[in-house]
Amino acid sequence: MRFHANRDVFSDAVSFAVRLLPQRTTLPILSGVLIETTEGGLTLSSFDYEVSARTQIEAEVLEPGRVLVSGRLLADIANRLPNVPVEVVTDENRVVVSGGSARFTLLSMPVAEYPSLPVVGEPTGVLPAGVFSPAIAQVVVAASRDDVTPVITGVQLEAGEDSLALVATDRYRVAIRAVPWHSERSDGGSALVPARTLQEVGRTFGSTGDVTISITRGGDRELIAFSSEKKTVTSLLIKGNFPPVRRLFPDNVDHFAVIGTAELVEATRRVQLVLEREAALKFTFDADGLGLEAAGGEQAQASERIDAVLAGEPVVVSLKPQFLLDGLSGVHTEFVRISFTKTENPNKPGPVLITGQKSREDTGTEEYRYLLQPNLLLR
Amino acid sequence: MTTKGGQGTRQVSDAAVDSSRATVLHVDMDAFFASVELLEHPELVHRPVIIGHEGGRGVVTSANYPARRFGVRSAMPVSRALRLCPNAVVLPPHYDRYREASETVMGIFRDVTPVVEPLSIDEAFLDVAGAVRLFGPPAGIAAAIRARVLRETGLTCSIGAGASKFMAKLASTRAKPDGLLVVPPEQALAFLHPLPIEALWGVGPATQQSLQRRGIRTVGDLAETPRPVLEGWVGQSAGSRLHDLAWARDPRRVTPHRAEKSIGHENTFGTDIRDEAALRRELLEQAGRVAVRLRRAGYRARTVSLKLRFADFSTITRSHTLAEPTDVARRIHDETCALLTAVRLQGRAVRLLGTRAEQLVPADDDVPGLWSDDEQWRGAESALDRATARFGRDALRPAALIGARQRDRERLVDGEG
Repeated sequence: MRFHANRDVFSDAVSFAVRLLPQRTTLPILSGVLIETTEGGLTLSSFDYEVSARTQIEAEVLEPGRVLVSGRLLADIANRLPNVPVEVVTDENRVVVSGGSARFTLLSMPVAEYPSLPVVGEPTGVLPAGVFSPAIAQVVVAASRDDVTPVITGVQLEAGEDSLALVATDRYRVAIRAVPWHSERSDGGSALVPARTLQEVGRTFGSTGDVTISITRGGDRELIAFSSEKKTVTSLLIKGNFPPVRRLFPDNVDHFAVIGTAELVEATRRVQLVLEREAALKFTFDADGLGLEAAGGEQAQASERIDAVLAGEPVVVSLKPQFLLDGLSGVHTEFVRISFTKTENPNKPGPVLITGQKSREDTGTEEYRYLLQPNLLLR
Repeated sequence: MTTKGGQGTRQVSDAAVDSSRATVLHVDMDAFFASVELLEHPELVHRPVIIGHEGGRGVVTSANYPARRFGVRSAMPVSRALRLCPNAVVLPPHYDRYREASETVMGIFRDVTPVVEPLSIDEAFLDVAGAVRLFGPPAGIAAAIRARVLRETGLTCSIGAGASKFMAKLASTRAKPDGLLVVPPEQALAFLHPLPIEALWGVGPATQQSLQRRGIRTVGDLAETPRPVLEGWVGQSAGSRLHDLAWARDPRRVTPHRAEKSIGHENTFGTDIRDEAALRRELLEQAGRVAVRLRRAGYRARTVSLKLRFADFSTITRSHTLAEPTDVARRIHDETCALLTAVRLQGRAVRLLGTRAEQLVPADDDVPGLWSDDEQWRGAESALDRATARFGRDALRPAALIGARQRDRERLVDGEG
C-alpha cells in the first residue's frame, strides 16, 4: 500500500478515528486504526466491540492495500508532522510515515485478526447537526458518571415521528431536550447511548450537514449509528431500563420566579467562590428579588441580591451551585424560569424546574427542561 | 487488656440493687485470649494454661485463672511463668480468633447502645442511659449482655456499672471473674474509700511510694488530705485529679471514639449450615440488626459486604457498592443474598456468616436524590423501629423469621422468653 494525503485532512481523520477508543483495551489489536484504500481515497476505522468510528478522506492512492497500526501513536505523529503532504508506504510488516524530511517507521498489526465493523441498519430519522450537537450538550451534563448504576450513565434517545427527545439523569437532576427531526417511522423506539460516546458525537459532527440516526434492534446486539456524509460512529446500547424520570416533572406550576439568565449565572459563580466542595448555596426568593447566600464556614461568607419576579409565596431553596450552573448553561434564552414544586415527603424539599423564556412575560419554552433536587435546608 | 483479675476480694451485686443511676458499664472479658483458646481445648479448662510462644524469648500473652493463681501475669517471659507454674500448658496465640470473638462481642454491645467506647480488643465502656427506656435498668441490661456473650461466644465477661467510667472500671475489676457489680452513686464513696490507693487510675509505683511514705494507704486517706497539700506532694494536675477521683468525681464521658468505619453482625453456627435457604434467613436477621444499628447511629452505608467462613476455616468476603447509601434492611438483605448467590456454595458447609455495612456516611450528609429506591422501605422500617421501642424486639418481625429456629442466638433482654 502506498498513498499521499493532505497533512491536515489525514491528521483530522486519524484523530477522529482514535478519539472514541478507550485508554486501555483488552486486546492490543483493538487499539489500532485500520487504513484501507478506496477508489479516490482512504477509509480510516477503529472498533473495540463497543464503539466504532469510520471516516473517509480523499487521497492519492498509488498502490491499494490495507494496514493496521497503533492508533494513538499514529495520531500523535500525524499531528506533529510538518505541514507538507504525508506519504504512507507499507513494507512487509512495517509502515513508513513521512512528511518532508521527517520519517517514522511503525510496526503494523495483523489485519486478518481485526474484527469487522458493525453493519449500519436502516435509518430511523434525520436532523441537522447544528440542532443535534447543542441538544446533546444541554443534556449530557446531567448523566451520571458513576458506573455503579450503568443505566443512568447513558443518555436516553426517544425517537418519535417528528421529534427526538434526549433525556439524562444522575438521580440529582434530570435534563430533557426535545428537537424536531424527520423520521419515516411513527415510533422509532428508544435507545440508551453511553453519555461519553454521545458527547464525542456532538463534538465531532459539529454544526454542518445532517446526521442520520439508525437504531438497530434484534439479534444479540442492539446498536445505534450516527452518520454524516463522511463520518460514521456506532455504539452498542446500554442494556436495562432507563428510570421513568418523566413522571418526576410537575404538570403545571403556578409558583415560580423569573430571573435574567446571565445575571443569575454571574451571581452564582461569584458567591460560590467561598463555598467548600459539595456545599450548597442558599437562594431566597421574595417580593424584593433573589438573595444568594454562601456560608463557607469560619473562613468566609458571601451574599448578593439580584432582580427576580416572583409569582407565589416567598421560598428558600438550597442548591448545589454546579448543578444549577449546569442547568442554566442549557438555557439559551435571556430569561430563566425557576419553578417550585410541591412535595409529599416532609423530609425532602420538592424539586425545582428550570426552563427558558424569551422575555419576562413569556410563558416559556418547554423544549429544554431541567429538574433539580434541592439539598436539605440546614437550620 | 486487664490482667489484674483475681486480685483482692471478689465482690458481686445481688438482684435487688438499685442500678437506675449507674448507667456507665465497663465490660471486660475474663482472661480473654486464654478463654478463646480453651474453647478449642475444653479438656484444659481446669488446668493452668498460658498463651504465648514457648522457648526463646516468648512472653505470656494471656493466662487463665488457674495459672494466675501461681502468679503468672501477662508480659512475663514464658520461661519464668513455667518456673512459677511448671504444670502449665502453653498454647500458641491465634489473633484472628480473638479478633473474630471481639467483633461478635462488640456487636452485642452495639445492639444495646450506639455509645460504645472500645478500650482494647477485650474491654469497652458503654453508656446505657438511653437504652434504659428500651431495656430496663442497667443491672438487667448488664445481666442480659453477660448471658448473651456467653451464649454466642462461650466466653465469660465481668461487668461493672457506675455513674462514671472510673467507678464502672473499678467495679468490673472487683467483679472478676464472671461477675457483675453495680455501684450506685450513693454507695460510691463507701465502695471507694477502703480501696488501696493503687486502685486509682494514674497511681503508679512512684506515686504510691511517695504517698505511702506520708501515711496515705487507702483512697479514703487520700480523700481526707486537703487538695493543696496533695498538689504540693505530687504536682498540681496529678494532685487535683487524684483528689477528684478519691471523691468519685470523673467527668469523662463515654465517647464512641473515631467515626465508625463499619457496622456488622456475624454469627458462628453451632453446627455448620449447608442449606442456602437457612443462610438467607440468617442474612435477613443480620440485615435487620445492621440496619437498626445504622439508623440508630445515624449512618448510611455505601458498601454492603458478606463474609463466609467454611468448615475448613477458609474465609471469603464479597462486597458490593450501592448507587445510593442505604440504612434499609430490605436493601442490605437483597445485596447479601445476591453476593451469596454469586459465591456458588454448591453445598459447602458454612461455619460463620456475616453481614457488614461499610463506607458509612452520616445520614444527614446524604444529599437527597430526586427519587430513592429505599424511601418506602425506610418508612416501613422506621415505623418498625418505633414499634420495637414501644413493644420490644419481637413485636414485629419479618414473616420469614417468625418461628425460625433461634439457633445459636437469642434475643437480648428477654432472651429466655
